[in-house]
This record gives sequence, structure tokens and C-alpha cells, in this order.
Amino acid sequence: MERRELLGWMVTTGGLAALNRLSTSDLLSLGRDAHVRAVASPVTAPALDARAAAIVSAAAERIIPATDTPGATQANVTAFIETMLGGWYAPADRERFVAGLVELDARARELFTRAFVTCDPSQQVSLLEEYDDAVSALRGAQDTSANAHWFAMLKYLTVWGYCTSEVGMRELLHTWPMPMRYDGNAKVGA
Amino acid sequence: MSREVTVYDAIVVGSGMTGGWAAKELTALGLRTLVLEAGRPISPERDAREHVAPFEMPFRGLGDRKHIDARQTVQQKSVTFDEMSHQFWTDDIDNPYTTSDTRRFDWFRSRQVGGKSIIWGRQAYRMSDLDFGANARDGIAVDWPIRYADIAPWYDTVERFIGVSGQAERLSQLPDGAFLPPMAMNCVEQHVQSRIAAKYGRERVLTIGRAAVLTTAMNGRAPCHYCGPCHRGCSTRSYFSSVNATLPVAQATGRMTLRPFSVVRSLVYDATRRRVSGVRVIDMRTGSEHSFSARIVFLCASAIESARLLLNSVSPQFPNGLANSSDQVGRNIMDHIKWGGATGQIDGFDDRRVIGERPNGIYVPRFRNVSAPHPDFLRGYGFQGGAGRSGWDAAARAPGLGAAFKQRLTTPGPWSMSFAGFGEMLPRATNRATIDPTLKDRWGVPALHIEAQWSENELAIHRDMGVTASELLDAAGARNIRAHTHGPSTPGNANHEMGAARMGRDPKTSVLNGWNQAWDVPNLFITDGAFMTSSGCQNPSLTYMAMTARACHHAVQELKRRNI
Repeated sequence: MERRELLGWMVTTGGLAALNRLSTSDLLSLGRDAHVRAVASPVTAPALDARAAAIVSAAAERIIPATDTPGATQANVTAFIETMLGGWYAPADRERFVAGLVELDARARELFTRAFVTCDPSQQVSLLEEYDDAVSALRGAQDTSANAHWFAMLKYLTVWGYCTSEVGMRELLHTWPMPMRYDGNAKVGA
Repeated sequence: MSREVTVYDAIVVGSGMTGGWAAKELTALGLRTLVLEAGRPISPERDAREHVAPFEMPFRGLGDRKHIDARQTVQQKSVTFDEMSHQFWTDDIDNPYTTSDTRRFDWFRSRQVGGKSIIWGRQAYRMSDLDFGANARDGIAVDWPIRYADIAPWYDTVERFIGVSGQAERLSQLPDGAFLPPMAMNCVEQHVQSRIAAKYGRERVLTIGRAAVLTTAMNGRAPCHYCGPCHRGCSTRSYFSSVNATLPVAQATGRMTLRPFSVVRSLVYDATRRRVSGVRVIDMRTGSEHSFSARIVFLCASAIESARLLLNSVSPQFPNGLANSSDQVGRNIMDHIKWGGATGQIDGFDDRRVIGERPNGIYVPRFRNVSAPHPDFLRGYGFQGGAGRSGWDAAARAPGLGAAFKQRLTTPGPWSMSFAGFGEMLPRATNRATIDPTLKDRWGVPALHIEAQWSENELAIHRDMGVTASELLDAAGARNIRAHTHGPSTPGNANHEMGAARMGRDPKTSVLNGWNQAWDVPNLFITDGAFMTSSGCQNPSLTYMAMTARACHHAVQELKRRNI
């Protein structure tokens, strides 16, 4: 449901109309105000230089590629990852992450004699699969450091950023956060 | 320093769950009432955040970790604390307290108009004579001075105003109320319910949670639209909070003065009249001090904060704190013990899913020590929980990448059913808040030192939760049943802190009489959770509200009779 539809639903609900002291324009501004306040909180400057950001974008697009639905690039996952690295993670986490990107790029040059971002998609996939396998091996060995591995961070942030993005929720997941009804026995896919 | 002196009929300290009720009842009964709130004003229209989508939040729901870790180290442990609701919890640096490493206590606090009624879990259960008679029956602490018949009409009054959706079950240990239509259980919960009923009959009953969330329009408030995150506020006022319901009614009488940013430092005792004559207030923004006087004072500041106020109000007559001749103020702090339970997988519903976010779960009322005594412990516990399917978040740590991995994000996981216990905590004098000898809050008010510890009785309850939750799942035909393995919650973590100024039948062993009235100071009433003589295992807010309404009517009657 679109925000406009949501607000429309709210104003046309009988019970809500009884909320006196609240004009229709107040109500319509309600969602917009909350939105502005939510995005207005200060966020630290981007945590990645242009080269690192390009590697993140390319890798994220391989993790969640565009298919018949948008991929990580269209969901602007890199901006979310930069916000998290700059404003959420500890400096040591960010340094480990950036060191991982440097290592990935070096590995691309070693195997394919070119930068990761200029590798073709199948080469990028094979490079990333090495790291995905390494993380899986750590998890298989019950190694508690698995989630701190730079690639585990990249993949988790890519999934989180994509699945909480507007295009991701709308186009892939079909889970709008406010369906405005409850059905505890709905058909899957319906 | 400016000193503003104004006289009212009544002063209510706190504007949350019980302060809102005191304001509503006292103004309805004709009293000019001053409501003092330590925090900022809140209006649902301006401050609710429930419709902010994940992609509109800078950290997409993961919270502003650096700020939170710096300023809200305790508050962030609450289950309803998140990126949008953190504004409704106090700043732990401005509002410090100390505790002990071995007797830790999580003290969750709110300072804004509405208090913790904004971020509460909305579960609303009545206590019964199984609870009110428990201390006398077991020889524990002191007897409650009331029984169910005393409070029952006030439960009716409160439920009819706040709106509680639920299913009548005719169980003696969990009396039915004046319910709105119940929320729906999902297909797996219905399945589990019927299997449990087949095995346990009326002994162990699974019902839909009783929630103070509207399922039909009521008093100008809209029915719930199932958006989910109630604790961020509700712009349709569908769940009960003081800002959504009681305070607007009090305001409409024209007899309420609501003063935000008002930190109450202490109560003023008039030794000649043997009455409390008013309160001293610090303006949070300017630091200026003010005094307000009234004929009666209601403390609704939250259980432990009210005890702090009494302990900080010393006079020659009360060197250990106002109304504390019994030495019970600050003692007998209780909460509910959590984190025992079990989870299992339910097969056969793979083509079914849930649409919408129901702000409520299922409930299994207490079944231990109801008809037959349990060999290992006194009292009992209830289960909250529900059934659902995991989504993309479970796949985020799975192997793979590319189109196949992306497809996996859209595939719902198996159905799982969980039961999580809330267990009764026995009152003990050693679970106690005292004034910290040196620490003060940002406004110079002496802070508390709080120590609390579970006893063997609570730990036995916690262990039993995993056993019986597994039995319920087994009865439901669940697979992969896993009893929860983490230890018990920290005392306070259930956000059900109570006690600290208990009611009783004897002024020597209790702070309040059966009307929430201080034995030592007849025009002082304490109606937040401080009065609780035992904890029950039910979520307690409904009981606090009912006792507040009852105490208000008694206080006004006593004023009219010139007894106070």
C-alpha cells in the first residue's frame, strides 16, 4: 500500500474521523512529518572512498542481482552500507571491512589480472564464492567469529539493506510494512 | 531563583499509566488537579512513529547504535526499545542509578507525558483471589488488605474505558473482563489450541492474549489497523495509553493543569497537621525551583521512582523518608522472571502465511498450584507466545549468492510455535532500593542504589517453564522441540517492577492501607506499582489502573467527610 493510500485509508476510517482536534490536513501531514524527522537525524560522512564504494556496489549486485526484479544497485544498498560503516559500526569493524575489500581487489588482479570492478560478472561471482565458502566453513566449524568476517558483514548488510529498501519490499518481497489488516490464514503467494 | 507557589485540590506526580487515571478520576470528581510530569509533552499526532517504514529510518531499524550505547545502556535492554521508540525511554546518563554486579536490576524508565503507557506491552489481565489470598495462604510477607471482590468493579470500570480485546474463558485464576471482540489466532495457533485442549482439557488452556488494543471503535478512538509497532506511538489512538485516552478526558473537564518538564525533588510534610502539604519541583529546562500545594497528593511516578521520592523526603518526623515508619519503603521490589519456555516446528501449513502485524500473542493462563500443589515451588507462571514463519532475515546468514540466493529470500521458513513464561516473584525485604550516598541525577536529586536477586522459588519456576512448554508443544505435535536454554532474565527486565511501598493490614509492616493511602500520612496516596503486596504472574498494569481509580474515589469521599 502506498503512503498516499495509507493516509487515505486513515482519513476515511469512521473511528478516526471522531478524533476531534485533528484536521484532515494535520492528518495528511502526519506521515510526511514523521518521514522528514526520521531522515533528518545526523549521519556521519560516507565511510568509503569512491574505489571502495564501487567494489561494494559491484559485489552487492552479484549477491542480489537484478533479475525480473531489481537488484542491489537499484535498491541503493551501497548508501545504506556506508551509513552503517560510518555511523553504526566500531572503527575496528570498518577497518576490517575495508581491508577485506582491498584483499578482494588484490585477488581479482591475481586471478584475472584486472580490478574487481572491471571483472566480468562470472569472474566476480567466482571470487565472491571463495569468500562465501570460507564463511560457510567457519559457520560449519561453529566458529563464533564467522559473522565478523568482512564478507559475512558485506552479505548481511546487502541483504538487510535490500530487504528494507522500498524497491526490495515492494518488488521482491511483496511485504509492505503496513498491510492494514490481519489475516492469520492467508495463502502463500496470494 | 523564582519560587512559584500555587494551591490545587490535588497534585498527581506522573502522567503515565496511573497518573493519567488519577487525573481523569480526580478531575471528574470536581478537583482542580495539577499533574506534574518530569519529561516533555507528547501528542500522538505529532510524536507517533509507527508508520515510518524501514527505508525511512537511517539505520533501517537497527538503531543509532553509537548514541544508544553512549546514552541508553540500560534502556536498550527492553524488548520494546528500537530505532523509533528510543525517544520514549530515559537517558541513562542524565538519570543514573547504581546496582550491584551480583544483584543486578534493570530499571526501565520513561520521562515524557504518557510515561511508560506509551511503550507498554498492552497485555491486560485481572488478578484473582488465588493471587490476593496467596501471601496469607503461604505465610509469605504480609497479607493483601483487599480481595478480588474489592477490585472487581474497578476492573470493570477501567476495561470499559480503555478497551480490552479478549476471549472469555471462565477460569477462576484469570477472571474474565468486559471484553471487546478478541483478535484472531492464526491457523497454526488454532491448530495448537485444539491439540492442547484435546490433551489437557480445562487444565491448560491456550487463549488469545487480552490486549488493551481496540478491535472496535470506542470513545473516539479507531480500531487497530494491524500496522505492528505500537511502542512507537499510535496516531489512531487504538491502543490504550494516557496520551491516547485518559489525559484528553481529564483535559476536557477544564480542571487539569498539566505541567511538563517538572522534576519533583521531594514532598513537603506539615508536622503540625500531620499531612503532606505539597511538593518541591525543579524545572527541567531552567533549573528553577517551584513549590505547589494541594489537599491531597497522588504518587504515580512508577513503583521505584515513587519510593525514591519518599526516601528523598526527610524531616525530623520521618528521618528515614516520608511515610516510612514501617521501614518498608524501597523494600520488597518484585518483577516477573522470564526467558523460560520452548519453541517447536509445526508441519502441515506450508501453503499458509500471515498478513499484517497483530500487536498481541497467545496466552496460557497459570496452571501450576491452581488445583494441586506443586512439589518444587509456590505460585506459578503464564505463557505468552505465538506462531509464525521466518522471512528473509533467516536467510541472510545462509550460504550462496546470485539469483538462486535472491529467490531464497522470498521463501518463508517453516512454521514455529513458541511459549515464553512470565513467572511470579515472591516479595523479599532484601530486594531493595536505597538512596545512593553520593550519586545524583542531572538535576541534583539523589539517585538510587537498587539490588535484587531471584530466590530458589523463582529459579524453580524458570526451570519448570521449559518442561511444560515442551509438553504443550509435544501435545501440539511439534517437531524439533527446543526448550529455551538461556538463563533467567535480570530482575526488572520484564518491565513489571513493583512493590517498594506495599499495602497491608498493619501500619507496622506496610506503607499503605487497602485504599493505597499512606498509614503515616492520610492525604498521601501511592497508586503506581509500588503498592503491590505480591506480584501474581499476570502483566500488572490493569491492576494498577483499577486500584488508582478506586483510590481516587476513596480519597474524594474522605475529603468530603473532612477526614483528610
